[in-house]
Amino acid sequence: MAEKTGKAGQGKAPNATKRLRLGLGVMLTLLLVVGGKLFLVQGLDVGGMAEAALNSRMTSAVLPAERGSILDSRGTVLANSVIRYNIVVDQRVNTKTDSYKRYEPQADGRDKLVDVSRDQAISELAAALGMDTNAVRDAVTGQQPYYIVAKDVKPDVEDRISKLQVPGIVAEGVSKRVYPNGAVAGGVVGFLQDGATGLAGIEQTQDDQLKGKDGKRLFEIGADGLRIPVGLDELTPPQNGKDVKLTLNSDIQYFAQQAIQSQADKLSAEWGVIIVMDAKTGNLIALADTNSPDPNNPGLVAAKDRGTRSVTAAYEPGSVEKMITAAAVIDEGLASPLEKFTIPPTYTVDGQTFSDAFTHGTEDRTLAGIIGYSMNTGTVMAGQRLSKEQRYDWLRKFGIGEAPDIGLPATASGILSPPDQWDGRQQYTVLFGQGVSQSTLQTVRAYQSIANNGVMLQPRLIDSYVSPDGTEEKVPAQPSRRVVSDSTAQQVQDILESAVTEGEIKDAGIDGYRVGAKTGTSESPCDDGKSGYCGYTASIVGMAPMDDPRFIVEVVLQRPKGSIYGITNGPVFRSVMSQTLRTYNVQPSTGEPARMPQYAK
Amino acid sequence: MSTAAVKNFPIVSGSSAADTRPAGDPGAGRKGRTPLSVVRTAPRKRRAPFVVLCFAMLAVALVAVLVLNISVSTAQYQLVELRAKQSSLTKTNQDLTQQVQSFEAPQNLAAKATELGMVASTVKGQIDLSTLSVTGKATPAVKGAAAGAVIPAPAVAGQQIVPPASKAADASKGSDSKGADSKGADPKGAAADKAATPDTGKAAAGAPSADAAKAAAGQAPAAAAAAAPVPELHGGSVPAPQQKVPGQ
Repeated sequence: MAEKTGKAGQGKAPNATKRLRLGLGVMLTLLLVVGGKLFLVQGLDVGGMAEAALNSRMTSAVLPAERGSILDSRGTVLANSVIRYNIVVDQRVNTKTDSYKRYEPQADGRDKLVDVSRDQAISELAAALGMDTNAVRDAVTGQQPYYIVAKDVKPDVEDRISKLQVPGIVAEGVSKRVYPNGAVAGGVVGFLQDGATGLAGIEQTQDDQLKGKDGKRLFEIGADGLRIPVGLDELTPPQNGKDVKLTLNSDIQYFAQQAIQSQADKLSAEWGVIIVMDAKTGNLIALADTNSPDPNNPGLVAAKDRGTRSVTAAYEPGSVEKMITAAAVIDEGLASPLEKFTIPPTYTVDGQTFSDAFTHGTEDRTLAGIIGYSMNTGTVMAGQRLSKEQRYDWLRKFGIGEAPDIGLPATASGILSPPDQWDGRQQYTVLFGQGVSQSTLQTVRAYQSIANNGVMLQPRLIDSYVSPDGTEEKVPAQPSRRVVSDSTAQQVQDILESAVTEGEIKDAGIDGYRVGAKTGTSESPCDDGKSGYCGYTASIVGMAPMDDPRFIVEVVLQRPKGSIYGITNGPVFRSVMSQTLRTYNVQPSTGEPARMPQYAK
Repeated sequence: MSTAAVKNFPIVSGSSAADTRPAGDPGAGRKGRTPLSVVRTAPRKRRAPFVVLCFAMLAVALVAVLVLNISVSTAQYQLVELRAKQSSLTKTNQDLTQQVQSFEAPQNLAAKATELGMVASTVKGQIDLSTLSVTGKATPAVKGAAAGAVIPAPAVAGQQIVPPASKAADASKGSDSKGADSKGADPKGAAADKAATPDTGKAAAGAPSADAAKAAAGQAPAAAAAAAPVPELHGGSVPAPQQKVPGQ
């Protein structure tokens, strides 16, 4: 029985084994085929399937860095960037879609699918954009895949348009630069070219700080437009630009701009400039220009008006330069404020004759009186005690011929030729501000060193950079330098104050505050290539309060019409200065005003 | 058992069975065979619970994956929705900030002051309280005096210079976080204002808070419903989208 069973088993076994092996072989072959294909597809990616799939899923988006703002000293925004939309159409899609369906909210609160014809969509779009229906129809009809229907649309309009779901219409977000204060400090702030690159003013010079760095996002997106949560998501965050904080005060800036514009309009001047500076820090509080551009639309004003004339326009300053001559002779010990000068009606030296703006006989004047009545004759008489080199060195010391660096483009350095190139007349005219040119800011800087007791501080316009995280990085002041001694500065201050109390500039006086000032009237050379002079430059520069000078204000008017001797910038100076004093809560002056006698006994 | 297994199974044959018999016990050979009896099979280990457990675990794992997937994609949708809300709030905020900036611009302020009949004072006086001294001669400002040059208002595209007429409408527009367009919000706010004024002074005060505006809107369903049949076009050609009113 047992044997039989064994025989039967041995007879069947090869068959079963063969079948088993065959099956196993088939399976292994199939596995090999499948495995091989898998290896080809997954491992080697023949035909680039995986890559193609990844490419179609992978989307990269540029994350634009936000351009920094420009602020005034109190944080008032002078320039910032906002979101605007360009409404763009794929004309091919729109043109061939005669009608489409969209959900519209109904009165009962439910959305209903409604049919909208192309004509209706176009008229709705036109109404939302505030454009003419035919203009919109022209814009969306055609074969162009990209056509801009409207630019710089505000977010609420964009919202309304996206609800219309017009086929082919897409809103593209763009950054738009806006200048909420418009023409106030417009020339200083500057403007952008095609919304990206600074073209003028602070926008130009501080472009690197303001711009920031664009970021990038790399992610996988499904066909339904949703990001695949488990897919790759690589984010390079954008680095927003820094804010630039200026030293300006937009209220004073407005006041000054309004004042100089009124004055220039009244006297039909070519242009005018007002600078307000804090003498203690060198901070510029206002840089006012006439016809200042509105950076929102700089094309409205002429190209020559789009800059900041306070720093770009160099002109012959005229009598304001007499202060430098007086400071030089006092500091060199060659004269004192009350020293007596006997002045003839005209004064001739080296064959050069000088006269004054008013006719007079032979008078006994003090140096203070020479400055107070702005006499060319007396200035030459006192100034000729300096050698030519000394005159040059003193002008250099006061920053003439040296461009101030305040971060504005096209800063003028003026023209101060070396003494060996001076001709017979120029060597004396430089003493009263002819034959030398400088910008208004250079004049203000020279007066600042007298106001600050002899120490010249470089003017500052950019106060700090504010990083996106809020840290404020102060721009350090440039090195200061001593120009004249403390006592010289004090004597010159007294001379300037006497010019207001005793001299000719009485209309610059402010009730309650002691004021020192100096006027300047110079002949202005023609700038269209003609020889000779075309009109005058009238200016006044002063400081207050004289017990401890805090502010410098200079008013300049280029080529006003009418008789130059009837023109005074005193009232403009006074209103801007008193507004500044009041804004900064400066205490009324104490102590007796300096009253240096103008005539020597 | 398969045949192969049978083949390999060590079969105990009769002769070898005899070999295993203890040698020193010949008498025992004659002993009768043990009668055949039914041998109960050893209790087999039951497999069923294990299989069930496997399937259960599989099901649990699948459900877990499903739940996880659903929650992840729901979160993704939620994220998209919140992003949209954030961006709409950002836009609203930016819009309002711009309006404030526009009102604050010095030339706009000056223009508004002139419109209200204000004149700038020119000469100031000071009183020193510690010394009781008066400096300066303060003179009253003269009405109608030449105001001087006018600095043009900032030409920010699309920025209105004059403040909106209705504060209630402005408040409801501002509080509308969903960013509904102003065309829709304006009639609602105006209607709310109209309805609220005779009833309570609360909303009429025009407090620019969202609560006040909402309260006003809540009190106004009748007025809003009454106003609904006539399509207000406000000079445009598209009727304002219908607004849901709370309580309807």
